[in-house]
Amino acid sequence: MREPMNVAVLLSAGHHPVSGRACPVPVEMQAIGLGNALGAEMTGLHAGPASETIADALGHGLARLVHLKIGEADDPLASLIAALGTEKSALVLAGRVGQGGEDSGLLPYALARALGLPVVPDASALREGPEPSTLLVEQALPRGARRRLMVRLPALVTVHPAAPAPLPFAYAARRRGVVEERAGIASPRGERAIEERAYRPRPKLIAKSAAGASAAERLKAATEAASGGGRVLVDPPPEEAAREILAHLRDIGVLRG
Amino acid sequence: MTEAAFSLSLAILALAAIAAVMAGGRARLWRAGRPAKVDWMRGLMALPKRYLVDVHHVVGRDPYAARMHALAAGGLLGGSALALLALLPPLGGSRLFWALVALAFAVALAGGFMVGRRRYPERPARLSGGKFQRLPFLLAAYAGGAFLVALDAALAGSVWPLAWPGLWLAAAGGLGLAMQLDRGPMRHAFAGALHLVAHPRAARFEGRRETALAPLNLEAPRLGVATPADFAWNRLAGFDACIQCGRCEVACPAFAAGQPLNPKRLIQDLATSMVPGATNVAYAGSPYPHAREVAGIGGPDLPIVGAGAMIHPDTLWSCTTCRACVEECPMMIEHVDAIVALRRFQTLELGALPEKAAAPLAELRYADEPQGRPLAARTDFAAGLDLPLISARAGAEVLLWLGEGAYDLRYGRTLRALVRLLHLAGVDFAVLGEEERDCGDIARRLGDEATFQRLARANIATLARHSFRRILTPDPHALHVLRNEYPALGGIYEVVHHSAFLDELVAEGRLGVAPLKASVTYHDPCYLGRYNGEIDAPRRLLDRLGLARLEMERSGRRSMCCGGGGGAPLSDIEGERRIPDIRMDQAAQTGAGIVAVACPQCTAMLEGVTGTRPEVRDIAELVLEAVEAMPARAREPAT
Ligand code: SF4
Ligand code: SF4
Repeated sequence: MREPMNVAVLLSAGHHPVSGRACPVPVEMQAIGLGNALGAEMTGLHAGPASETIADALGHGLARLVHLKIGEADDPLASLIAALGTEKSALVLAGRVGQGGEDSGLLPYALARALGLPVVPDASALREGPEPSTLLVEQALPRGARRRLMVRLPALVTVHPAAPAPLPFAYAARRRGVVEERAGIASPRGERAIEERAYRPRPKLIAKSAAGASAAERLKAATEAASGGGRVLVDPPPEEAAREILAHLRDIGVLRG
Repeated sequence: MTEAAFSLSLAILALAAIAAVMAGGRARLWRAGRPAKVDWMRGLMALPKRYLVDVHHVVGRDPYAARMHALAAGGLLGGSALALLALLPPLGGSRLFWALVALAFAVALAGGFMVGRRRYPERPARLSGGKFQRLPFLLAAYAGGAFLVALDAALAGSVWPLAWPGLWLAAAGGLGLAMQLDRGPMRHAFAGALHLVAHPRAARFEGRRETALAPLNLEAPRLGVATPADFAWNRLAGFDACIQCGRCEVACPAFAAGQPLNPKRLIQDLATSMVPGATNVAYAGSPYPHAREVAGIGGPDLPIVGAGAMIHPDTLWSCTTCRACVEECPMMIEHVDAIVALRRFQTLELGALPEKAAAPLAELRYADEPQGRPLAARTDFAAGLDLPLISARAGAEVLLWLGEGAYDLRYGRTLRALVRLLHLAGVDFAVLGEEERDCGDIARRLGDEATFQRLARANIATLARHSFRRILTPDPHALHVLRNEYPALGGIYEVVHHSAFLDELVAEGRLGVAPLKASVTYHDPCYLGRYNGEIDAPRRLLDRLGLARLEMERSGRRSMCCGGGGGAPLSDIEGERRIPDIRMDQAAQTGAGIVAVACPQCTAMLEGVTGTRPEVRDIAELVLEAVEAMPARAREPAT
């Protein structure tokens, strides 16, 4: 039997979308569930000011939580980088996006870049890989499609809402769980030119099907337009893959010339 | 005194000693349980009344069983006690006294005969087999044998050839009864008597409402019940009191729907599991329908719930907490308390809830509403109606508690009818608006006591900010929680259900009604009828509307659940039929065109029944119809 893997789960201070009250982010609780299913030794990591509901993650199957205390205006990134440097986790799990904060979904990428970890986004299931220090990740793609990947650890994996539902909350487990408070690293956010705008649903691009086409044809056109087209290559030689990607990028106008 | 008679008395003395040892051994098992506060003096003094009045009130619903029990128990105890007294020389020497003994045993024999006739040739499904099938023979042997001995003594030994075989027969039968006092049918006698004395809800014998769940101390080292030792000892004694009569089984809606719950079996599993090295093999009654596989083993310190234990979790989550079993139980066992205690451990300690029940509890935790809907949207149903907010005024005579039903489109019709009636009657009322949180009923029944207590405290704090005289609600679940369960947390209110309130308004002439021409059958909500004893006001009100009222076979306190309580629709444990379909069939059988309801859950469950069926109308909708049928002038409230 292999040693239990050391997994860190990133926890953010979420807010309930309707009540606006502090609450755990569901997809992060699902991440805990995936870690549990791996039989991993898990540590929750949160960098932020004091919060009452962060510890609720302990009720969802997490035994230990490290709270890195920083101020309201501090960027959690520096504290997380420092903490993950000492935790030596083989795997870092995060939600694909937070809830009720900035919700840009960028933090896992920034963190992975700083730590030099590969990122696998949108996991819906995890299994131990065939070799030591590997992990099988099932990735959730649009329209219910799934892709299985093998990654070499250490890695950072973000979790998709399509992962299994989190373990139900157990009040006594939260009571039993341990929160370790540590000082984080003060790192005031720089001035960022973020413009806030009201949400506006973007019109869907629907392929122009002939006005007289049948309902089935129009449906097909409407659904296929959103799927982006392209080709599926299975196990292509690297040169051919690179050529395909470049050609596609030229096609859609990302690359010129 | 004949020699045989003297031997009989001695034999009974020996049997009594054996019985005492067996009973004592069983009672020692209860000491594994937690301590309980028991008012012994009061319980002992009240025992005759609790037995003769309260128990027999329940037993008497089945007149055959009542007669059978009176004869068998009365004759057996009377005859045995008298035969023991015969050891005193002046009594033992009296032939007249022995005639009395013979009479008592004859009565017992008749009772034993009735026991047999009930079980043979065919045993009704609700009764248990196994040891229970031997009971009539043991009774007959003991009572019949003792009768012969006593008869002989009364006739001065003239029928002695009958007396000696009689003595052996009595000894054998008596031994059979005494030896299985710890596990057999006779256990109910001593455990039941003790349970009556030390009952965990003694106030129910004093005519008080004893239906509120007791608050759980959230600081306790272990929350809820995992093992038999986590129950209070008098609860364990209560499980042992079960006589396996199966009345609860017949009443249970989940059992009828083929869900894996049988309250009788549940109590037996609990009683069995307190024995070290327990297995469930001896049970010989009806099983849990579609029983899920369990190991069927237990012990005082072993878990009760789980596939590797005695009771499958699905059994626990099938219960609608309708209390029909408690209402029918002649041994005064509190099934619902036991089920909720077990659920509390599953939910609070293990987080082992049915999948679909977890999400609503999470929403309750962070949004105070089981579907996570905005609290401000609770009053959306009233669009276009004048719905005064209590925060916008100095207070109101009546605070209208809307409940969860307000979010439901169908139920919104009922609430609109109620609001219009309140305006028509000139009632000074207001609602909390977005200050109203969920009352916590669902959380509590699903075992999430932490969420219940948080919601209750928050609501109590909100209510303390406003001035009103009483709370009016159309939701019996909210009514029960506000009226009976908040007091333990410091919120004491006068709460009235809309059926009683509208009945008052119509009686006082504040609402004028014209007779409606229709036939109606009234479905009692469990939380209004059984939990709160309110079965008359809704009926009185329907009668005031001139409706032809037909009763279903099960109505009033013995009504059958719609399937909507206790979080059962959330747990959604699979069965054969849906409970509301069964109930709707019963309603249709009356031939009434309308089922009158008085609860948002009942409305939702019964409206969900498909096919041709009576129409579902809330009492408020019917009252509004009757008010609108009045000529406009006469509708003005009488001033
Ligand atoms: S409360 Fe109702 S559903 Fe639950 S066991 Fe008793 S009768 Fe059955
Ligand atoms: S629990 Fe009560 S009603 Fe049910 S079988 Fe036992 S004694 Fe009868």
